Amino acid sequence: MTAQAEPEPVEARLQAIQSITDAALSGLDDRELLAALLDRLRDILQVDTAAALLLDFSSGQLIATAAAGLEEEVRQGVRIPVGRGFAGRIAAEHHPVILDHVDHTTVLNPILWAKGIRSMMGVPMMAGGRVIGVMHVGSLTPRRFSADDIQLLQLAADRAAAVMQSMDAQADRLAAAALQRSLVPTALPAVAGAELAARYIPGEGRVGGDWYDVFTLPSGELCVVMGDVAGSGLKAAVIMGRMRSALRAYALETNDPGEVLDRLDRKMQHFEDEVMATVLYAVIDPSLEEMRVCLAGHFPPVIACPGQPAELAKVTAGLVIGVSPGVRRAVTTVPIPPGALVCFYTDGLIERVGEPIDDGLARLCLAVRAEPAEAACAAVMQALVGADALRDDIALLILRRQAVPPIVRIAAGG
Amino acid sequence: MTPEAGFPVQMIEGVPVVAAPVEIDITNADGLRTALAEAATHGPGRFVVDMTRTKFCDTAGLHALVAANKRTLAEGGQVVLVIPDPGVLRIFAITGLDSVIPNVVSLGEALTQTR
Repeated sequence: MTAQAEPEPVEARLQAIQSITDAALSGLDDRELLAALLDRLRDILQVDTAAALLLDFSSGQLIATAAAGLEEEVRQGVRIPVGRGFAGRIAAEHHPVILDHVDHTTVLNPILWAKGIRSMMGVPMMAGGRVIGVMHVGSLTPRRFSADDIQLLQLAADRAAAVMQSMDAQADRLAAAALQRSLVPTALPAVAGAELAARYIPGEGRVGGDWYDVFTLPSGELCVVMGDVAGSGLKAAVIMGRMRSALRAYALETNDPGEVLDRLDRKMQHFEDEVMATVLYAVIDPSLEEMRVCLAGHFPPVIACPGQPAELAKVTAGLVIGVSPGVRRAVTTVPIPPGALVCFYTDGLIERVGEPIDDGLARLCLAVRAEPAEAACAAVMQALVGADALRDDIALLILRRQAVPPIVRIAAGG
Repeated sequence: MTPEAGFPVQMIEGVPVVAAPVEIDITNADGLRTALAEAATHGPGRFVVDMTRTKFCDTAGLHALVAANKRTLAEGGQVVLVIPDPGVLRIFAITGLDSVIPNVVSLGEALTQTR
């Protein structure tokens, strides 16, 4: 019998691992896929246990996510800090580790030595140049793992990491889109004496942190919010959701728009100091004759009066949310004449690479006319977006005050 | 991860200077962040971001600059931005950042301020 006569055992095992992430596994979710992979890995490497711990970026801990022959690790929610113990060291140092001696001096997790594991090897799970987890296998009988064994385990870990990362990105996109949809109002409130129309368009390939909100206060005032959280994806969408709720809560406490944004800023800086966001908050008088506007780094609204060209409303600029503590923002009162139209928007509508911002603002002013709100929305989108691919989200909200004030009839008699 | 190309950190008259690109947006803001972090490690925490070439800076770019400014202030240092472009200055005025992060219109002025 010669070595050439039959396949190299390593090659055969390599092939077995390559088949692990094939189409047969494509219908599984991420955890099922990891568990199936670990199960096969146990057979291929002839070991007794196999486990994968994924890195939780916010806590810096490895969390046992899937296991074969070591299910208790997952069920008990084992967490290992990066840098400590066997798995923690692999994650910190980015290279494989072999343990020929398993006890409390080498392994942090008591489950492993209580189980009677005698030898272990583990490798980092790398994706996009960074560690996303650790995969390890163990033997209940003493065993010297070879360089081939390490190579096979690393191959399995690399494949798992690539699949996990693409699944994560996909899940992140879907969740962000669902969250965004749930937070943008499905129906705008009916307001006597005014019409409202709005658009929200996600940027291509990613959902950003743009939102708008419209609600009435117990006083009868109508409130409009436009916001844009820096960043994109699920993280930005989650922050957007928190800011929207916090702003609504402060709006019920005070009808001073400056106070509302200052409180929102204080809340964000205290609890999430990495966040930056621009917000416009306008409180419109029940008569609809004027609005009090406060800006936190946001573009001012565009206002169009009947028969006149539209212009940027003269509103005092205020500092963006999340930069400096203790800032007081100014509030500007803007009159809304009968028949006038007010256009609120986020930067995605006017910013184009290679074009000064003033050109974008000028194009918007040219497109905005005092016409019915729905028609105005359509005209603005046509003029500013057309068939362009969008890199950023766009939120647009238009309010038009009716030309003739509503007549209140008081019934005779009584 | 290696820092992206196009964000060189140069020592000019003993001051670290980061040359910002023509356009700063979500596609290269992380590269800028890396360069800003690197600049902060040179010398006593004072550095210049030269935006002389910059014509466009979106929220992602502003966020990177705000984060660098916060970090340097906390460490007792100082960032000075060079912004000659009226369009970019306009963005800084709208966001209110022009009064938070020191900015001048020429590199020479920035170097004088950071020395």
